[in-house]
Amino acid sequence: MASTSLRNLHHHHHHHCSSFKRLPPPPPPSSLFLKPPSTTTSSTNILSTTSSSSSTTFSLPSSTTSTTTTSSFDTLQHLLSTQNFRQADEETRRLLILLAGEQSQKRGYVFFSEVQYIPETDLKAIDELWRKYSNNKFGYSVQKNIWKKVNKDFTKLFLKLGWMKKLDTEIEQYNYRAFPDEFTWELNDETPEGHLPLTNALRGTRLFNSILSHRAFEGQEEEEAETGENGGLRDGTKPLGNKFLKPNYSF
Amino acid sequence: MASLVSSPFTLPASKADHLSSLSQKHFFLHSFLPKKTNSNPNSRPSLKVKCVVGNGLFTQTSPEVRRIVPENKNDLPTVKIVYVVLEAQYQSSLSSAVQSLNQNSSFASFEVVGYLVEELRDENTYKTFCNDLEDANIFIGSLIFVEELALKVKAAVEKERDRLDAVLVFPSMPEVMRLNKLGSFSMSQLGQSKSPFFQLFKRKKQGAGFADSMLKLVRTLPKVLKYLPSDKAQDARLYILSLQFWLGGSPDNLQNFLKMISGSYVPALKGTKVDYSDPVLFLDSGIWHPLAPCMYDDVKEYLNWYGTRRDVDEKLRGPDAPIIGLVLQRSHIVTGDESHYVAVIMELEARGAKVIPIFAGGLDFSGPVEKFLIDPVTKKPMVNSVVSLTGFALVGGPARQDHPRAVEALMKLDVPYIVALPLVFQTTEEWLNSTLGLHPIQVALQVALPELDGGMEPIVFAGRDPRTGKRRKSHALHKRVEQLCTRAIKWAELKRKSKTEKKLAITVFSFPPDKGNVGTAAYLNVFASIYSVLKDLQKDGYSVEGLPETAEALIEDVIHDKEAQFNSPNLNVAYKMSVREYQNLTPYAPALEENWGKPPGNLNSDGENLLVYGKQYGNVFIGVQPTFGYEGDPMRLLFSKSASPHHGFAAYYSFVEKIFKADAVLHFGTHGSLEFMPGKQVGMSDVCFPDSLIGNIPNVYYYAANNPSEATIAKRRSYANTISYLTPPAENAGLYKGLKQLSELISSYQSLKDSGRGQQIVNSIISTARQCNLDKDVKLPEEGEEISAKERDLVVGKVYSKIMEIESRLLPCGLHVIGEPPSAMEAVATLVNIAALDRPEDGVSSLPAILAESVGRNIEDVYRGSDKGILKDVELLRQITDASRGAISSFVKRTTNKKGQVVDVADKLTSILGFGINEPWIQHLSETKFYRADREKLRVLFEFLGECLKLVVADNELGSLKQALEGKYVEPGPGGDPIRNPKVLPTGKNIHALDPQAIPTTAALQSAKVVVDRLVERQKVDNGGKYPETIALVLWGTDNIKTYGESLAQVLWMIGVRPVADTLGRVNRVEPVSLEELGRPRIDVVVNCSGVFRDLFINQMNLLDRAVKMVAELDEPVEQNYVRKHALEQAKALGIEVREAATRVFSNASGSYSSNVNLAVENSTWNDEKQLQDMYLSRKSFAFDCDAPGAGMTEKRKVFEMALSTADATFQNLDSSEISLTDVSHYFDSDPTNLVQNLRKDGKKPSAYIADTTTANAQVRTLSETVRLDARTKLLNPKWYEGMMSSGYEGVREIEKRLTNTVGWSATSGQVDNWVYEEANSTFIQDENMLNRLMSTNPNSFRKLVQTFLEANGRGYWETSEENIDKLRQLYSEVEDKIEGIDR
Repeated sequence: MASTSLRNLHHHHHHHCSSFKRLPPPPPPSSLFLKPPSTTTSSTNILSTTSSSSSTTFSLPSSTTSTTTTSSFDTLQHLLSTQNFRQADEETRRLLILLAGEQSQKRGYVFFSEVQYIPETDLKAIDELWRKYSNNKFGYSVQKNIWKKVNKDFTKLFLKLGWMKKLDTEIEQYNYRAFPDEFTWELNDETPEGHLPLTNALRGTRLFNSILSHRAFEGQEEEEAETGENGGLRDGTKPLGNKFLKPNYSF
Repeated sequence: MASLVSSPFTLPASKADHLSSLSQKHFFLHSFLPKKTNSNPNSRPSLKVKCVVGNGLFTQTSPEVRRIVPENKNDLPTVKIVYVVLEAQYQSSLSSAVQSLNQNSSFASFEVVGYLVEELRDENTYKTFCNDLEDANIFIGSLIFVEELALKVKAAVEKERDRLDAVLVFPSMPEVMRLNKLGSFSMSQLGQSKSPFFQLFKRKKQGAGFADSMLKLVRTLPKVLKYLPSDKAQDARLYILSLQFWLGGSPDNLQNFLKMISGSYVPALKGTKVDYSDPVLFLDSGIWHPLAPCMYDDVKEYLNWYGTRRDVDEKLRGPDAPIIGLVLQRSHIVTGDESHYVAVIMELEARGAKVIPIFAGGLDFSGPVEKFLIDPVTKKPMVNSVVSLTGFALVGGPARQDHPRAVEALMKLDVPYIVALPLVFQTTEEWLNSTLGLHPIQVALQVALPELDGGMEPIVFAGRDPRTGKRRKSHALHKRVEQLCTRAIKWAELKRKSKTEKKLAITVFSFPPDKGNVGTAAYLNVFASIYSVLKDLQKDGYSVEGLPETAEALIEDVIHDKEAQFNSPNLNVAYKMSVREYQNLTPYAPALEENWGKPPGNLNSDGENLLVYGKQYGNVFIGVQPTFGYEGDPMRLLFSKSASPHHGFAAYYSFVEKIFKADAVLHFGTHGSLEFMPGKQVGMSDVCFPDSLIGNIPNVYYYAANNPSEATIAKRRSYANTISYLTPPAENAGLYKGLKQLSELISSYQSLKDSGRGQQIVNSIISTARQCNLDKDVKLPEEGEEISAKERDLVVGKVYSKIMEIESRLLPCGLHVIGEPPSAMEAVATLVNIAALDRPEDGVSSLPAILAESVGRNIEDVYRGSDKGILKDVELLRQITDASRGAISSFVKRTTNKKGQVVDVADKLTSILGFGINEPWIQHLSETKFYRADREKLRVLFEFLGECLKLVVADNELGSLKQALEGKYVEPGPGGDPIRNPKVLPTGKNIHALDPQAIPTTAALQSAKVVVDRLVERQKVDNGGKYPETIALVLWGTDNIKTYGESLAQVLWMIGVRPVADTLGRVNRVEPVSLEELGRPRIDVVVNCSGVFRDLFINQMNLLDRAVKMVAELDEPVEQNYVRKHALEQAKALGIEVREAATRVFSNASGSYSSNVNLAVENSTWNDEKQLQDMYLSRKSFAFDCDAPGAGMTEKRKVFEMALSTADATFQNLDSSEISLTDVSHYFDSDPTNLVQNLRKDGKKPSAYIADTTTANAQVRTLSETVRLDARTKLLNPKWYEGMMSSGYEGVREIEKRLTNTVGWSATSGQVDNWVYEEANSTFIQDENMLNRLMSTNPNSFRKLVQTFLEANGRGYWETSEENIDKLRQLYSEVEDKIEGIDR
């Protein structure tokens, strides 16, 4: 699963820790770090393959593709395997920022249009780790399935994921849960499907939209059809396929 | 001063406990949907009450989350900082600055606590604040502009000012600014000193000068320092550096700021060298994008960068993407509290729109808007629409606004201008929980004020989290951001699309739900107007196909179902929507099921599909807005606090948005139901129906210029660009039939009274007056009774005065047609009335005053004499009136061409005004007794009238509509009465209300005193010399806008208090008037605020409630203070505190309007008066409590009933000539006269009064007098009903409406005389010719007319002959057959 190009990065670790002061203390030395743009030129093959198979709406600068080694996901794997979902969630966000490129790292958050820079394999790897250690309850692809079922309505999605809470007013309305206390950090029967990892909505839903629309999660329809989800309102008439890369103008 | 109320939202501790008791829950936790019975299993009721009410204030956030107490392991000196800010964006930046300082500093440890201005309302928080100040070293304040809170801050800091090491206040009210102190530098002389330093602050007194002067100060630092003595220079320099640090706002800047101040001024650090870096300066204004490498000072450079972006596709970068300008506050960017801005930018870009986000650090954005959004070469806008995310007025922010300057900049920009807002005073949850919605202060600052700039769509797009840390920052509300961005793009598309491809949905109304009412709108001939608009749009290039030949044919197209065989009772069906389609297109449909069951339901439905009524012509769809739905289940819904739209209603808007795919919807005329659908008052959330219904369609709304209050509701709740239209030109009612004879008789009496025929003529006058039913208005001697010559004069004088009153009454004749401004001669009556008012502010004297003066009289004396019936004064007043009309007609004639149109007023005026001798009014007056009138005063007056005339006949209504549809900016303007405020003209402006904190004005208080004094006098005369103990009265929104708060001031004057304005001219305080000065007891009041008043003036409701409570608590004898008297009694009876018993300010529940008595009457769906009264009580007994303002409107029916039971009089105001008692249903809807009688222990009917301030000579009449006057001037007046008949279809409906409203008055007050119905019957039914005209022009409305007559008789309001009733019954079945298409 890991990309073939994720090799030669170990020696740049120290340059970049300082840009993560908002994040938890850096994980053990074996974990991932960033490759400076000047040296990253090698990983476009994956991207170009992908973009030729789907509609090429974005032209991708080759220099900003960050890459990781297989071992980069060690921390995440470790945290997940020990069911430390709280830290795994932080780590996932940190990874996304890292993978989205230098600009995101400086800024401390990912702009929606930068999600395309995250290598498909890396995003898939993260997702698979989450699924693996949660009996397929957590992960972006799990969230994406639900998203499709609710016609890509984020309010409905957030409700399903348990990210919003019902207010006790006479009319039915919901507010965002407060991070981190009001989220569920354990995996049990009550934990809503897709509850983790979190993607915050402080800046709206466009980042989350881009993640769920990432080519890493394309072509899940068949898979999902096989698993045969229990009931639901799924409108299975048309596969959503490569529509994902296009911005959605309809409202 | 001691009893001055200055802390409005204070709360006695006991109150909170009372409110949070669970048993009370449903009284204050009402919502706009009927209460759900099954509660959610996950709910935690104990938490719920707390979060909604808590301390009863608007926000429950606590400053404790902002408190940082250092560990101080190294035993360093501690520096304690206390700050108060409006802008929550500073808190996270300050917190992180202090945290870094504590981690790294070796010289001191820092303790900090911060308060948001709004939190200081809470008594306990305020105490903590004062305690915190006691051992603080440094105080920092910023943007403190809410007076009552500013005074609190001032009081607390003043006490500690000398002891504090440093006080730093950045732009705030002068009172707070004066607290500034930094060593020898002090601002205590601010505003008084002549020093150049302070003069800088004064330079731009108008507008946002204050904050911008501060910025200028920063820029001109060296120059300023030159003027200061050298020892002071250092302190002043540090102050200016502080300001730079503060405005630079980043954690680093704030860290250095704190280092600098503490190092320089904290004694414990004397001798310690504290290093700090200079402020990192950011651009004052510029362009910012989260992805851009820097801020830009040049839009071309920014766009160059944009073009090189590689993260987005060609389409977005290319020239064809819509471009949205964003206006941002710099402080959010520099403090890093910009998540909500980023959300909007991402949402717009993801939807394919390019953005130009500009920011400014000061409070004046007009410069940056012009600089960055207008192409300097072509002068064309660089953007297609603009969204301000600041929430503030474009110029002035929270300080002093300069609307003309803002409008000027926006006119140049000429694109749609949206002002969205982040929550400032509330957390997200507090806003969601509130039925009021947005905090009233924020409504005043960030909704009402931007409206004066022409800002639209006050969408709340960002919220706040109550907790500490980074989360204190603003966060996007994702659905709101979507709504805002889709709407901004839709507006931008209007600018981009070609006319031929634009789709327009014209929506007409139908209320009450009856075919005769399709196309209802106040004063407007709707179909003729639509026809003229469509013709014009067609000519202009819009695709309008298959338009019929005439407006009448257009009506036929829409109101008849062509598929039905005969004159079908159904409207034309434009679209049948299957239930499945409906559900797919209408995501909120499930929310309607609670009230209406599963779709399709019975309304706008054929049982299987939902029906959309209307007709499409090319790209134009004319649709009929479904009704509120009361006909579905009238009694249940009329009684409910509120309801929800029915499925048919929702289907209509789903069709318009998603099937017809309208680029804009045009709501046609005043007014529909959309904006009155349930939801928050202001600041809609995802579940508010007006927001869901309007969806993403730009809303353009033709609205009557005289109704700014309801127009404002449409603006705020349905995001309308409201374009004003003129009410039809007013004419004098004139005299007819018997009244005309009377006038002739009086004239012969005057010439013959001394000839011996006097008695004979008086006898004729008396008997004719009787025939005209004037005996109720004037005490007439018995017939044949011998009376003295003097008495004869008095009787004749009184009758004369009465008929003059009728004659000169103004009435709008016919209905207005859009695109057809009045001819000049039609405007004469309007001008005469404009000329009748003194305008000291413009230096214009009234014409009657000038004329009276010329014959040595004071016009006020003439008015008074005439009111008393002194014959010679009545006669003089008539002569003055005639001369005024003559002079103005002669003037208007000279400016018009043969066709009666005004030509070139400007040129004509110059030529007229150029030659003194030829002035037409002088020519006219020279032939009257007023030939000596002051020429100079006349010249000034007529110059003013000339300007008014130009405006009256100007036609911008169509032009403005086209501008709106082309995505241009529509110039804003006030709504109101053109006679009082000619600035309302020309129509075709985006109507707004006024700054709600600006009323009542001093002038309004003056007028209010006159009316209250006359009212009290009148009541004493009618009531054995006794003062009324309680007056029940109504406050209307429009009324208070037009008069700048006269009726609000009346209430204040009744209870004996006066408003006090702050330094910025805003009224947020009252003080008692002493009993000596008042000269009478304080009169108790029961104030019924209309739902619209509640929405627009919640701050003023708060002010009133505070005033009433203050008066109730005054230590005065109860016989001199009826408020206290009753409150004491009620407190005892109910076992509550006096303060709570003194609840006098009532309205509907939030989000609901009117008592619904009007709907019941219009639908004839009521059993007896008792039922109407119950309805009134159940809907109107919601009180606003200044002690728990955050709780919104709370049901307090018991107190309401008790207060009403003490009323001796009921009272309403008439404020403009075109809306009188029977013109609209809302006056009787809010009348409690019969209700009070039922509630009073003695069962006595209260006196009912109407004040009429429509003319210079304000009158207080009894209700029955006013009803008679209204009937005589309108319903029974040939001039009026013929005028209506000339409008055809709609005219018949207008006639029917007057009769229905008359029945309404019978039902609520019993003050309608039998003869009114009798005369109406002879006018409209007994006259065969008239009857046939009515029946053929609008059979549906005619049927309702006949039905209403029968109802008046059936309910016992009209006694008449069996013959009359038989005829009506027969007519009813005839017309019914006709409508059903049955030919006999």
